[in-house]
Amino acid sequence: MKRSQVVAVMLVLLLSGALAFAGGKQEPQTAGGQKVVLRYTSLRTEDVERENRINAEFTKKYPGIQIKFEPIKNSEYDTALKTSLETGVGADIVILRSYDGGRQIYDAGYIYELGDLVPNIQSDFTANSVATWATEDGTIYGVPYFGSITGIWYNQEVFDQYSLKEPATWDEFIALCRSLKQNGETVLAHGTNEQWVLTETLLCTVGPNFYGGEKTRQALINGEIKYTDPRFVKAYNKIKELVEFFPPNYQAIDYVTMQQMFMNGQAAMWIAGSWELGVIRDAGLEVGWFGPPVEKKGDRMQYAFYADLGLGLNKATKHKDEAVQFLRWVASPQHASLLANELPGMFPPMKVKFEISDPVALEIVQIAQRADVDTTGQLMWEKLSRQEPSGETLQLEAVQKFLNGTWSAQQAVEYVQKGLDTWYYE
Amino acid sequence: MRGAAKRVSLRGLLYLVLGAQSLVVLFPLWLMFNSSLKASRQIFRDPFGLPNPVFWKNYLKLFVQQSYERYFLNSIGVSVVSLLLIVVVTSLAAYAIGKYRFRGNQQIFFYFLIGLMLPIRLGTINIMQMFIRVNLYNNLLSLIAIYTAMGIPAGILIFTGFIREIPDELRDSARIDGYGETGIFLRIIVPLLTPAIVVVAVYNLIPIWNDFWFPLILINRDELMTVPLATARLFGKHETDYGLLFAILSAAAIPPIALFVTLSRYFIKGLTAGAIKG
Amino acid sequence: MRQRKIRLFLIAYLLPALTIYTVFMILPILQSMRYSLYTGTGIRPDQFVGFGNYVKLFTQFPFRLRFFNVLKNNVLFFIMVSVSQNVFGFVLAVLLTRRFKGRRFFRSLFFVPTALSVIVVGFVFKLILNPVWGVFDRMLRSLGLEALIRPWLGDPALALPILSLVTAWHFVGIPIIFFTAGIDGISDDIIEAGRIDGVSVWGEVRHILLPMLKPIIGIVTILTFVGNFSEFEIVYSMETVYGNPEYATDVFGSFFYRTAFGTVMNNVNDVGLGAALASIMFLIIFVGVLFFLRITRRET
Repeated sequence: MKRSQVVAVMLVLLLSGALAFAGGKQEPQTAGGQKVVLRYTSLRTEDVERENRINAEFTKKYPGIQIKFEPIKNSEYDTALKTSLETGVGADIVILRSYDGGRQIYDAGYIYELGDLVPNIQSDFTANSVATWATEDGTIYGVPYFGSITGIWYNQEVFDQYSLKEPATWDEFIALCRSLKQNGETVLAHGTNEQWVLTETLLCTVGPNFYGGEKTRQALINGEIKYTDPRFVKAYNKIKELVEFFPPNYQAIDYVTMQQMFMNGQAAMWIAGSWELGVIRDAGLEVGWFGPPVEKKGDRMQYAFYADLGLGLNKATKHKDEAVQFLRWVASPQHASLLANELPGMFPPMKVKFEISDPVALEIVQIAQRADVDTTGQLMWEKLSRQEPSGETLQLEAVQKFLNGTWSAQQAVEYVQKGLDTWYYE
Repeated sequence: MRGAAKRVSLRGLLYLVLGAQSLVVLFPLWLMFNSSLKASRQIFRDPFGLPNPVFWKNYLKLFVQQSYERYFLNSIGVSVVSLLLIVVVTSLAAYAIGKYRFRGNQQIFFYFLIGLMLPIRLGTINIMQMFIRVNLYNNLLSLIAIYTAMGIPAGILIFTGFIREIPDELRDSARIDGYGETGIFLRIIVPLLTPAIVVVAVYNLIPIWNDFWFPLILINRDELMTVPLATARLFGKHETDYGLLFAILSAAAIPPIALFVTLSRYFIKGLTAGAIKG
Repeated sequence: MRQRKIRLFLIAYLLPALTIYTVFMILPILQSMRYSLYTGTGIRPDQFVGFGNYVKLFTQFPFRLRFFNVLKNNVLFFIMVSVSQNVFGFVLAVLLTRRFKGRRFFRSLFFVPTALSVIVVGFVFKLILNPVWGVFDRMLRSLGLEALIRPWLGDPALALPILSLVTAWHFVGIPIIFFTAGIDGISDDIIEAGRIDGVSVWGEVRHILLPMLKPIIGIVTILTFVGNFSEFEIVYSMETVYGNPEYATDVFGSFFYRTAFGTVMNNVNDVGLGAALASIMFLIIFVGVLFFLRITRRET
């Protein structure tokens, strides 16, 4: 028995050696004429097929360059990105999160400045989106990739059934919710279990119309007002009014539950992001969309339309020229159309015209272009989350505890301000 | 009469408890397997009903679209080699610590235990750099090295505990019989440690098999990925195919269970009793 | 002469484990522990702050809130898991070492949950406890116990106990294999002697099994303790890395992960603070391990 065990051990060690050598083989280097493969990493693992289709168009135009899309799970993306860039094994093209997330990568010296390499960023993209991946003095380090819009989805069938119209003011909205509830419908697919939905798709979606939208956001960043300003208390109290229309035991409803409830037609409305359009199309649901209701008729709507992700160029890339060609193509209207159609609900923040084929996507972005609409972004994403305790982390906790009834609106905003006071105003 | 009735009622209680636990274990397992045969949306529309239609596509996708047999091989290779190394290396060290008095014995024991108290993830960037420097990035040997190191503390703790239970008389009488130290170890100690070997192997198997962090950090080539790393790619930021996910996670549970069933055959009671008596 | 030979053997036996362990585990971690004295946003903090990070964790708002919260939660979590997982696991192990048909089958069956990835376990239980379509609530309703229905994973008072029970379901296989190994290892003679003396099952447990299994109880307790205080996968898969709801399920592991690696909503990470937290965790765990080793040491 002993000898056969020794043999088994030997075999296993040989196996491991074989595995190791299989791994150790170097990638075939490109000899003149062979394809250059650019590694492109992202945090959207659901986009593999779509990105491959989009990027195939690039290879059609530039046959010597192939794009390898290697996404990483969203929650581990930042760590994987930072460690791979630091140790020199990062991808050539990297997705950058907005504001401080991407800025960190630039500050650490991992990515190129793109002002000269991709010259049309400044001219062809919206000012807000360019600024999202630029320093205060205008040094651009990221190509804006797409922007998201948040608003209210509704189930078309339910609205048709009760002959409901899209509400324009808050009172109309509440009345609509009430009538749905009286008819026994589940009004809103919402819960408070997962924090990020409470800020990204609730507070900063319907809240801006009550806390003063973009102007207030800028004032907060500049330190002109504090988070304890009555405007924010007002916004908090407004969203609390919606809680009576959440399903029972909403404290345990998480993001996936909300999404699936709406997709399965189990709720009439869902305050969420435009990015859900892809899932909605796959589910075959008939939907409509309206922007956040204003306080009173005639008010300007504060519409959350913000650049979410951008693309950066790894300084350690071995194929700089090819990567620059790719980024230039990404910054073109041709790519914008491809993106908007493959990923419905994601909007390349370009000033230049590009096509959108999905009618609902078109509707969503056209609201942003109305004369009585201002676009705004997430409250805490710019500058206010540069350090811990970040504005976003504080806000996440505050909104959750507020909606669950643990804290009052006053306690919530005071908590956030107290955290900001420890570092932001120096 | 009373004795027999008592035995029957105790036996009844035994089956009752075991039966209840079986149900508690089986229901979530059934739910997992049931969901793996559904299309993603049906999982949420009708979580506890039977699949309708039965969505074999989830399992087919594993091997056609995703080439999971490669990932399974990688995971199995890494796990088996790591476990072997852990068992060999820690049983040797634990024997030294548990059975021999020497200066620094306690200190070395505690040194090994420190590994249980520190989060290995803290060393992520240094570990990554170390392997890159010796050209072991994108090489499964790096995983084997890390997993072996991670398994050592618990291995030492467990083996030392079991080894200390082995009476010294056995070793002394073997010495009188003329056996050298290695002979004693292989012929007397190891057979008595069989249950402990199974425990150490099984205890380490699960975290190694399911680990996705170190493959994430040390591997980016598709053909070298392990099962958990490949599976992580299925989690979308906003959209996830849950049916496929369940299928993969159900399939991924089979190798560890198979290993456990195989190893637990060595849990034979008679083995130990005989040796002590002799 | 033999002393020299034995010494050589000792070195040979200890060296492989020492080398692998030191090179691949201790050294990298020690290098990172250095960062606990520094701060900065990069992956390698470079601003020296001495003990600033430690002071921060204990005194500064809101870090001290998080710190003492996770300390409390971890202690509670450990107690709940010890009872539901290890005590119950011990009971099952005693039952599984009686002689009866099909015992091997049960042993394998009860191990199956432990072989599952924590992701699938978390997900399955989230399905069961889901407030909208979960079967648990449906079962309560059918038993007329509707009044007991709560938002299980959303109630700050209930979330952690529920996570403890899920952990127990998942890992009950571990105490089972340890204790069955231990009980199987107890010589038949001793058990027989007990039976002849007319000892009942309960007596057998109290007077034979428990004392003889003390070292193994120690090992299981230590491994549970250490695991609880450094892992967080179950929290991650059921309540996000933030320890929802309202940080009620936040433990050292999740707090450490957020601090050292950042999160999706807040990409800023502070490796220095993370390293400081890891040092504190180490001290707490070290004291705990010493304690458990001492009280379960067998007097020979």
